[in-house]
Amino acid sequence: MKLSVPMPLRLVLLVLGTTAFYMYLGQIVPQKEAHPPPPVLISAEMTTEDLVAVGAELASGKGQCLVGCHTVGQSGPLRYPDLDGIGARAATRIEGLSGLEYLAQSLYEPAAFIVPGFADGMQPIDQPPISLSEDEMKAVIAWLQSLGGTPTVTLDTDLGY
Amino acid sequence: MWGLNLPIVLALAAIGGVLAWRRAHTLVWLLYTGGALWAFFRFGFAVPIPQSVVTIYLGITVLALVSYASSSRERLAETVQPIQRLILEPRYRLALAGLLVALPGLAAYNAYADLTMPLEAPGFGREIHPPPPTELTVHDETIDMATAENPYLHYKHDDPELYGKHVENGRRVYYENCFWCHGDGMGGDGMFAHGLNPVPSNFNDVGTLPALQSSFVHWRIAKGGPGMPAGGTPWDSAMPAWEKFLTTEEMWDVNLFIYDFNGYEPRALGQH
Amino acid sequence: MTPQSGKPVSRNKILFGIGVLAFVSVIVTVRLGGFLVDNEYRQPDQLSAPLQTEATAGIVDALEVEEGEDAATAARRIEQALEFADDQGIPEATPRLRGIADEQATDEAEARARPYEEAEYRAVPFVGSRVTVWVLAQLHLLFAAFVLAVPLFAFIIEFVGYVKKEERYNKLAYEFTKLLSVSFSMTATFGAFLTFGLIILYPKFTNYLMHIFSPTFLPYVLLFFLEALFLYSYYYGWGKFGPKMHLFLGFMLNIVGTAIMFIANAWLTFMMSPGKRDDVDGDGVPDFVSAVSESGALLSLRDAFFNFTWMPINIHRIIANVAFGGSIAAAYAAFRYLQAKTDEEKAHFDWMGYVGNFVAIIAFLPLPFAGYYLAAEIYAFSQTLGIQMMGGTFSWLFVIQAALIGNLFLGANYYLWLGMGRMEGGVHFQKFIKWLLIAIALCFAVWATPRYAISSVSEIAAMGGSSHPQLSYLGQMSAKNTAVNILILSTYMSFLLYRRTGRQSVHPHRDLLTRAQAIVFSSAAALVIFYGVYGYFVDSATRIRFAIPQVYSVLAALVVITVIDLPLYRNAAQSGETKWGRMPAVSQYALIFIALSFTWLMGLMGYVRSGLRQEWHVYGVILDTSPDAYTPTLGFATQVVSVTVLIFFGLLGVVFWLSSLGGKKDWEPKPVADGRDQLEGGQAA
Repeated sequence: MKLSVPMPLRLVLLVLGTTAFYMYLGQIVPQKEAHPPPPVLISAEMTTEDLVAVGAELASGKGQCLVGCHTVGQSGPLRYPDLDGIGARAATRIEGLSGLEYLAQSLYEPAAFIVPGFADGMQPIDQPPISLSEDEMKAVIAWLQSLGGTPTVTLDTDLGY
Repeated sequence: MWGLNLPIVLALAAIGGVLAWRRAHTLVWLLYTGGALWAFFRFGFAVPIPQSVVTIYLGITVLALVSYASSSRERLAETVQPIQRLILEPRYRLALAGLLVALPGLAAYNAYADLTMPLEAPGFGREIHPPPPTELTVHDETIDMATAENPYLHYKHDDPELYGKHVENGRRVYYENCFWCHGDGMGGDGMFAHGLNPVPSNFNDVGTLPALQSSFVHWRIAKGGPGMPAGGTPWDSAMPAWEKFLTTEEMWDVNLFIYDFNGYEPRALGQH
Repeated sequence: MTPQSGKPVSRNKILFGIGVLAFVSVIVTVRLGGFLVDNEYRQPDQLSAPLQTEATAGIVDALEVEEGEDAATAARRIEQALEFADDQGIPEATPRLRGIADEQATDEAEARARPYEEAEYRAVPFVGSRVTVWVLAQLHLLFAAFVLAVPLFAFIIEFVGYVKKEERYNKLAYEFTKLLSVSFSMTATFGAFLTFGLIILYPKFTNYLMHIFSPTFLPYVLLFFLEALFLYSYYYGWGKFGPKMHLFLGFMLNIVGTAIMFIANAWLTFMMSPGKRDDVDGDGVPDFVSAVSESGALLSLRDAFFNFTWMPINIHRIIANVAFGGSIAAAYAAFRYLQAKTDEEKAHFDWMGYVGNFVAIIAFLPLPFAGYYLAAEIYAFSQTLGIQMMGGTFSWLFVIQAALIGNLFLGANYYLWLGMGRMEGGVHFQKFIKWLLIAIALCFAVWATPRYAISSVSEIAAMGGSSHPQLSYLGQMSAKNTAVNILILSTYMSFLLYRRTGRQSVHPHRDLLTRAQAIVFSSAAALVIFYGVYGYFVDSATRIRFAIPQVYSVLAALVVITVIDLPLYRNAAQSGETKWGRMPAVSQYALIFIALSFTWLMGLMGYVRSGLRQEWHVYGVILDTSPDAYTPTLGFATQVVSVTVLIFFGLLGVVFWLSSLGGKKDWEPKPVADGRDQLEGGQAA
């Protein structure tokens, strides 16, 4: 007697097996559900310190700064400049611009100054699809200043944009 | 060399050499390649490869070996022939029986090994030395982190006797407070160390003290785990904020002592 | 008793089976319809939960024992009351029925008073609206891709047959075309299904798309009509027209089909990139010009149609369709090969499978480049989208993609290597297979190396960070670009070896030319590897640009080697005959595996292209506010893709079976005399 699996059954097994294998691959990689960013509320009485916390939340959420583009405290071949110490470095980037002015410029007009060795690629984040409001921009700036510097921005600060 | 575990790599290469010299059978080669690659991925690197990546590599290896063996009628026949002989010829009956016991045994062992593997939380990338603030205020005294130095360090050359006194005071502070976790020999292996995650810093390590400015060390001593910036999260360092228990002088002294004990110099200003 | 005479019986069985299936599906459809209607649209007629409580309370009140009344008296009173009502023939009088009548009257009044509202979204029970539309769109796309691709290469094969004056090419093209008519109906069915799905489930957004694209719908329908005209005249007119006329029909079929796809592509690329590129500020760098206002009102249909990613998607889809169509056609041939009884049939379907796979591989080789072009355009349109794709939420998807593409390359090479067994005396090149395999496996491994591996706490502690000191080099773009280029070169090498198996060049300068080919090949490989390694020593702005010389050197090598190879092996001496049909069965399963992997890959890439927008309907303009706006986990997405692929292959089985009916013997009435033999024959079949 010869044992053999009939051809149609083999085909079905092949189709099911291959599909199951690829589906399994999908199950073993990290599982992350990305929900639309919840609205971050900024109220008028927030202090600079509160803004830093909101800014940090925005950076990895709605603002998307840390979602694949920038890093904090990494070296090696990077896609875009590392933000570690930017709060201290900001004032020395462009002559005539204070740290605050430089940070505001690099968020509203990213193409105005490109860090040497990197390609131009950032979009103005006050425009769609990211569309940060002016208050949210201030929060992000406060967070940036806190990376190696002392945050000074408040909700009353005029960013000039 | 190149981060490889040389004895293992050389041993695997040597076995391959012997097989080549003896003109081994295709099946032997296939088994060797699979086994050697497994051993290489598993043990061949000085820093082990994560298990998930080893699984990917082994999957590709198996796929490649199977497609090699079956990619021509002749090679398939040649590969399968010893297996057929093992099954069919009476004189291999003992070996066959052994194999029939060994294969389920191997599977059972695998299941056992999988189940008894210690459970581990998935890892999170975390910065070991997060960026310090620009200014530090300890006991109402503000210092500039970029330029501050241990105020007693210069006594090492100017006044060795006074320097010795400060080191002695640091020794007292260390063995009253720090050695519980950081250890007698400062290897990060004190009696409480095994209960802590992250583990206490190892001050013997050339990558730790010499790579840090003394102001950084002062910051860590003064502010401890609670003062860790958000950038270093998830961070649950158990180190207390020592500014609440020690005077500024005591903290600088212990700072001096741990450098002196290990024979290291703090990283100089602006040195990279 | 021969098996043939048993055929009618088995066919009757099949027809019976179909009958049962049709009956069951009608029942299921009716039940499902009833279920949906009950749950969805007739809600007002059913008692809502608070009303029900109220009604029960009312009944209890009416039947309650009055104060000062003992239980026995009360029971008698109530019984008498009910009996009386029953005697009088007025069942409405019972408190329960009266209560129900009241509720109905209230509900009806409420339903009449309710104003008509435009629904923004509607829901599907269990699976949700997104998954419904997702599966329908994917199935429509898979059939459409097949219907667009088959005429492309059927036309080319027919043309080759016409130029070479060989009848077998003509026959092969016809064989491919046979698959079309059923698939065309499937495409249309799922297209209609998808359209209804969109209108029902996403009414507001569909309406918005109509607002933007209404002028394109009429041409689309007209083209679809023309497509049907050309397709059926091409298929039924086979051998009925002169060859030139028939080729013209095939040509028009392709033109119309491509135009249809281009229109549909405009709708979906608009959702991703609603605008064109234009250098507005004159700095030499193209800027984004939105085709719609901030609130979504149309500014320029032209810009919405010819939007940023429209052309890249067109190109990517044409190439991918051909590769996909080729692999599905090869799977059909494999299916028939496995069924084949005679050597002649085997030889025919072996050849058909080979041609289908050849088409698939030829289209597959430039596909990664088209993919890079598309990805680069997405980056150029929006850095956020690009980063999201390669580094953010979707980065792990590309590790799965690496596994799929690695499998496809391996499968394609494997089939070629097995094919060398068709030639007599073809063992000459077997020794190279080992090295090709090593190269392919290495590239596969490099491509599948994740940038940040999944690792446990102790592994991270040992590595001193989330990336391994040595392996992290392999996880980067430089290494991956290099790997895919080498994969392409190796596969081409496999094909060249296959072409040479059992043949001897008779060209006067054959040694020189072969050496020239080897030099071109190895210098392309060296250049690719050089740029790959050099990429680690330069900054990121320079590194990105290295992909371009890598691609060009590989493309140039492919072209130059082909140009040398054609004269080199023209009229080559054959050392042995090519024995079509002499293939082990595993090769045919490999063809089906390739088709499966390709379908799954299309499903996955379809997901990432569409999922990339995340919570946007139209990126940056119209926000998705439905409960399905979130991006699901990769595990869930792969489950949906798998189910879609299984449905597709189930339907494909029907298409294959229907297409193979044409070749079967005609039905004949049963010979009456020999009933017993019939029965046995039926069982044997």
